Amino acid sequence: MAGSNEVNLNESKMVVPLNTWVLISNFKLAYNILRRPDGTFNRHLAEFLDRKVPANANPVDGVFSFDVIIDRATSLLCRIYRMAPEDEVQPSIIELEGPLSNEVVPVIIFFHGGSFAHSSANSAIYDTLSRRLVGNCKAVVVSVNYRRAPENQFPCAYEDGWAALKWVHSRSWLRSGKDSKAHVYLAGDSSGGNIAHHVAMRAAESGTEVLGNILLNPMFGGMERTESEKRLDGKYFVTIQDRDWYWRAFLPAGADRNHPACNPFGPNAASLQGIKFPKSLVVVAGLDLSQDWQKGYAKGLMKAGHDVNLIHLEQATIGFYLLPNNNHFYSVMEEINSFVSY
Amino acid sequence: MAPYSSVISPQGCSSSSSSSCAGNKPSEIDGLLAGAGYKVRSQDLRQVAQRLERLETVMVNAPDEFSQLATEAVHYNPSDIASWVDSMLSEFHNQPEFSDPTNYINPVVVPPLQADTWSNENVQHCQLLHPQQQQQLTVVATIEEDSGIRLVHLLMGCAESVQRGDASFAGSLIEEMQSLLTRVNTVSGIGKVAGYFIDALSRRLFSPQNACAGSSVENEILYHHFYEACPYLKFAHFTANQAILEAFDGHDCVHVIDFNLMHGLQWPALIQALALRPGGPPFLRLTGIGPPSPDGRDSLREIGLKLAELAWSVNVRFAFRGVAASRLDDVKPWMLQVNPREAVAVNSIMQLHRLLGSDPTRGSPIDTVLSWIKSLNPKIVTVVEQESNHNQPLFVDRFTEALFYYSTMFDSLEACTLQPEKSVAEMYIQKEICNVVCCEGLSRVERHEPLVKWTERLNGAGFSSLHLGSNAFKQASMLLTLFSAEGYCVEEKDGCLTLGWHSRPLISASAWQTSALPDVGCLPLATIENTIL
Repeated sequence: MAGSNEVNLNESKMVVPLNTWVLISNFKLAYNILRRPDGTFNRHLAEFLDRKVPANANPVDGVFSFDVIIDRATSLLCRIYRMAPEDEVQPSIIELEGPLSNEVVPVIIFFHGGSFAHSSANSAIYDTLSRRLVGNCKAVVVSVNYRRAPENQFPCAYEDGWAALKWVHSRSWLRSGKDSKAHVYLAGDSSGGNIAHHVAMRAAESGTEVLGNILLNPMFGGMERTESEKRLDGKYFVTIQDRDWYWRAFLPAGADRNHPACNPFGPNAASLQGIKFPKSLVVVAGLDLSQDWQKGYAKGLMKAGHDVNLIHLEQATIGFYLLPNNNHFYSVMEEINSFVSY
Repeated sequence: MAPYSSVISPQGCSSSSSSSCAGNKPSEIDGLLAGAGYKVRSQDLRQVAQRLERLETVMVNAPDEFSQLATEAVHYNPSDIASWVDSMLSEFHNQPEFSDPTNYINPVVVPPLQADTWSNENVQHCQLLHPQQQQQLTVVATIEEDSGIRLVHLLMGCAESVQRGDASFAGSLIEEMQSLLTRVNTVSGIGKVAGYFIDALSRRLFSPQNACAGSSVENEILYHHFYEACPYLKFAHFTANQAILEAFDGHDCVHVIDFNLMHGLQWPALIQALALRPGGPPFLRLTGIGPPSPDGRDSLREIGLKLAELAWSVNVRFAFRGVAASRLDDVKPWMLQVNPREAVAVNSIMQLHRLLGSDPTRGSPIDTVLSWIKSLNPKIVTVVEQESNHNQPLFVDRFTEALFYYSTMFDSLEACTLQPEKSVAEMYIQKEICNVVCCEGLSRVERHEPLVKWTERLNGAGFSSLHLGSNAFKQASMLLTLFSAEGYCVEEKDGCLTLGWHSRPLISASAWQTSALPDVGCLPLATIENTIL
């Protein structure tokens, strides 16, 4: 925390519903226990505390899910979420991978958050979020269980994201529309947003198609301490200190926060001008201390000539999209729906 | 409110409203938090928030002690935020700055489970379909395209014919499958598993009386290789031992009753752990139950002697007693000679499900056994069972469930490179498959039921759950890192641990205690028969 002995949590309590406050505070405290000062991570305890749910091929509220191994060598798993067909009761084996319709069905490759270290594709909060995305956008969601830091540093998560993208494009059953191709969007919150950006970069460089990026509170940073970081340090669940810890855990040894993974428009980054980068929807929470970096990211994309829709939610904190109990949740869901529709 | 409700229209909740917008009654669990995997009653939200705040204050003011929370504290039941925060708070010894001492919660070792209805709600809906196995079949299908899928469809069709009693159609399907097998890779994947199931179906149709044969010596060999080839039994032993060790804390006379001694593979580790106990080891009695040896050898006693030698070498006072019984419900409590002074642990590794078959001559074996376990007043009952429902009344349902379950298990076995352990382990699994598919009545002993059903049964018999904490979880996770195969995963659910392959639980471990004291009159007063070396 910011060094004072008194803990003042009143500000955060006033801006979120009580159950949201309990949820995010619980994460904050548990995560504090898991991060060790020497940079190692208590993975066993993390897995014990993380609430997970299994996939479910029986539709619940019209959505069913199943797990697929994309790459045995790295144990890369992803969980696929789909709308259940209206007339049928239970998907059988073939229908899990049944073809999509002639109408375009967006395929959203989702990278969960957790600052590169926490959570999994089968974490309850992300399973729930993925299901909501399917219902909201009538999309297929592919939630990627990427390798996490500190055990797996840069660029493992990006490699896993890239593998997932190639895999999605190679599935004939994920193609839809008259042009019979996979209509792929990359999405992610926090570290997942960062991964989405870097996978999109690689896609652009190699000519693989991505129709759009959806970044919710994406995790970016840099060596400079920005105004929003100083102003909001410790006030709304997040501290500069914990951000630093996660970057140290993810970035390779010897790197600082101006490494292009962390700071894609920083002094060490390659230019994005002239490459075929997809359009982006960037959602920034007004009470997130990283917002200056996020807005800087959006600006950087615009300056490089790319299409960006920046949404700034004044009174939102991190994690606003985890529970559907606030207006920000619903407005962002609508924006995402428009973004992936034609 | 269902955890997965899809987005409808904004409900216009202001950001300062309390609790979820679901319109829950206060005594109900907050539905939105439930969707996130946490159980908090709406009426408790404020209090829980206060405690979280208190914990954070402690964190800030005593960072060194706080770091001990990670290394030394045992965490229980993470779904129950209130009790988790309380147990964290109770790790801190001095709280002078808190003005409200009545809010300081003493450590609650085991918060009672909230209404079972909640835990049922939390359980996945897929009693019939297990998508994790489908994933196995789906992935393999993409390699083998039509043949794999066709095999599965033929297997289902054959099972349906068997259930209908149409033996000739079933027979023709078996022929078709056998010919299809020649065109499919049977070394691994769907081809291999299908082969075993086709074989089992064929035995059921053509030679049911031979299907379930197997001597106890054979069984021991198969078991031992299964133990070596994959981590399921090791996980069972580790987890049970950890729970037993914790339950025996502070007791000088302890008595473990093992429902299936086999080679006693579980016990050296416990003996050694007790030897190293701070304050010194207790006097340990082990009663091993096992089938009588056909050739007149006293194999139980032989194992007992080996364990006694080990105990002697680490200075643990030890006594062994063997109880030979072909069925657990033949055992009477007086045979176990439980002494009222000792702390008793009853250990059942994949034995309880064998008692679920019944016939008019036997009454209900499971009820008989559960009631005499209770009468022993055990400190702890450790239960490990296969996490699947192979005891459904309809044959087709059992068959389908088994197909998916054993596919996953075979898939996990692919990772093993030890021979002959791997091949013999496959025979062990094949025996189980045969029993599930071919046998009926009392001879069908592999009547696996999932943890949620065992919980119901044990609660109904007067047992309550003893939560396995983060120590046991950590031990289990560390055990897995010794296996080079990635893909095994340990998960915690409602105080129990499961070990699975790629997020499909295959085996569950849980611990239980009696929820009320039995009548004193049931406890046998006995002298201990000495086999101490």
